[in-house]
Amino acid sequence: MAHYLFTLPKKAVKDYELLEHTADIGIRVKASDLAGLFKSAALAITDISAEKQKTQYPEKHKIVIAQKADNVEELFVNWLNELLSASAVEGLIFEDIQINQVNENFIDAIAVGCDIRNYKVNTEIKAATYHQLKVQKTASLWLAEVIFDV
Amino acid sequence: MSDNIPLEKIDDYHWRIPRGYKPGMRVDGLIYADEKLLKAIREDKALEQVANVAFLPGIVKSSMAMPDIHWGYGFPIGGVAATDPENGGVVSPGGVGFDINCGVRLVKTNFQYDDIKPKLKELVYALFSDVPCGVGSKGDIRVTSKEEKQILVKGSKWAVEQGFGTQEDLECTEEYGAIPGADPGVVSERAYERGRAQAGTLGSGNHFLEVQVIDQLYGREECDSLGLDLGQVVVMIHSGSRGFGYQICDDYVRTMMPCLKKYGINVPDRQLVCAPVNSPEAQQYLGAMRCAANYAWNNRQCLMHLTRKTFERIFGMSWQKMGMHLIYDVAHNIAKLEKYEIDGKEKILCVHRKGATRAFGPGHPALPERYKKIGQPVIIPGDMGRNSYLLVGTEKAMQETFGSTCHGAGRLKSRTAASRSINSDMLLKELESKGIIVKASGRATVAEEAPQAYKDVNDVVDVVHNAGISKRVCRMRPVGVIKG
Repeated sequence: MAHYLFTLPKKAVKDYELLEHTADIGIRVKASDLAGLFKSAALAITDISAEKQKTQYPEKHKIVIAQKADNVEELFVNWLNELLSASAVEGLIFEDIQINQVNENFIDAIAVGCDIRNYKVNTEIKAATYHQLKVQKTASLWLAEVIFDV
Repeated sequence: MSDNIPLEKIDDYHWRIPRGYKPGMRVDGLIYADEKLLKAIREDKALEQVANVAFLPGIVKSSMAMPDIHWGYGFPIGGVAATDPENGGVVSPGGVGFDINCGVRLVKTNFQYDDIKPKLKELVYALFSDVPCGVGSKGDIRVTSKEEKQILVKGSKWAVEQGFGTQEDLECTEEYGAIPGADPGVVSERAYERGRAQAGTLGSGNHFLEVQVIDQLYGREECDSLGLDLGQVVVMIHSGSRGFGYQICDDYVRTMMPCLKKYGINVPDRQLVCAPVNSPEAQQYLGAMRCAANYAWNNRQCLMHLTRKTFERIFGMSWQKMGMHLIYDVAHNIAKLEKYEIDGKEKILCVHRKGATRAFGPGHPALPERYKKIGQPVIIPGDMGRNSYLLVGTEKAMQETFGSTCHGAGRLKSRTAASRSINSDMLLKELESKGIIVKASGRATVAEEAPQAYKDVNDVVDVVHNAGISKRVCRMRPVGVIKG
């Protein structure tokens, strides 16, 4: 199928799993570091909500996203909600994330997006929530679980 | 699963989660359900959320759940909680949700089903094309920055001033289409940006526009008063405050996060973040939330205007001649300051309705003259394959549930489970064989919103009717469905 040529790199698509929730959609993300965790969660939003169908508007747009918070969980929710908000305002679907700096209280990144008109958008994610939110460091990995209001 | 939660049967329709279930619960949980619905309710974590809401400071009477309750985030969907500001009562943005003033309106017509049947497909396709829908849809009704600010204060009245409706429409809208106390000064620039392009758009997910036919009458007096009869065609519109409301909620969840520590509030789920109603943070949230509520009422007014225009085009006569009068418009995600008598004393309470509908009984001063006798019309959408209902509020709702009732069928299956198990092509054919034409922006939406994904609204309405917190007036079945 031709449009697969334009979808996200496979790695990004595989970097999350869906969690069951009656009304909304939850995801679990794992990564070896915080940068990978934040990036995978961001790209999971794209994977859940949109499917690339054309490249009529090929121009890439770069949006700077900088967030700070008292702890890593708040930072994670703020990051995702900022991406959702920026995506809605700019009319972009984010296809890549370049993280300049991230720690448990701060993230500075560039979200690279493409015009939403290239996409078929199937699901509107309204926001990331704090309900059953987890952002944890295990022995070898970072793990996050978040439920989106859809 | 909620198998471990103790539930005491009060009677056939009332169940209690005793406040002793979790240390920190300030009141009992009270569930409106029968045995059948309770089985479905126990399948997810909604009951745990009912118990969590009981932690809110200043909560009065009980943390209530309507029979369409299901697992949400923070509050359960189908939850009602009132807090007393004089007693440390709080307001929680999570008790309203991201889609502030998501709600529904019902418009009648003079048509009988047979009158529109030959043109039904054309009508549904025309509505789909004329009413902007789908994710991130942008409307033809473009507003400037200045106009957007006016909308936040004026609500539906803004649309009426543009010629998109009448004074009668305002009378037939909860809060007359604009809740007082909206403060555009506490709305972020980002919210303005998100809202500007989406005025007059339906949205996606469970939002819809349906052409329906009345197939059962229950309250003859109320039907006569409302001018409704068997076989009559009505239109139901379900939408909310779009990206504007999502941004307000996100902004104020962030603002209130430090309030837990600042005001010494203990809640078991951070999505229940809240602040005392009389605090500056809460006052700002309420001012912004009311802006979003007014945005949503204006939005549904614009959507109704577009619907009337489409009917005019298809049937070649004015909407007035087709009798397309608004029956009522109700919010089902909102927090409002309302007056109730508690222990013999009149109190202003902050009533959260998260997936619950206001259901004021006859004679309530907030109702227009035309509904003083029968009570407030309550519109309950079901799913796209079964039924929807029109009810009226009751005095018992005023006594028991802070004038509240259910808001819909309530989800049974997750969206992912529905998408996995339901073939949207087969579903569309099945619905068409039942005389229901569906036009949707995306196939995914069709499967996610399949009737099998919802509880049977008939069961839900049976409970609220039998419990006396609202009264059945008539039932509708869908014949044309537009999904975002």
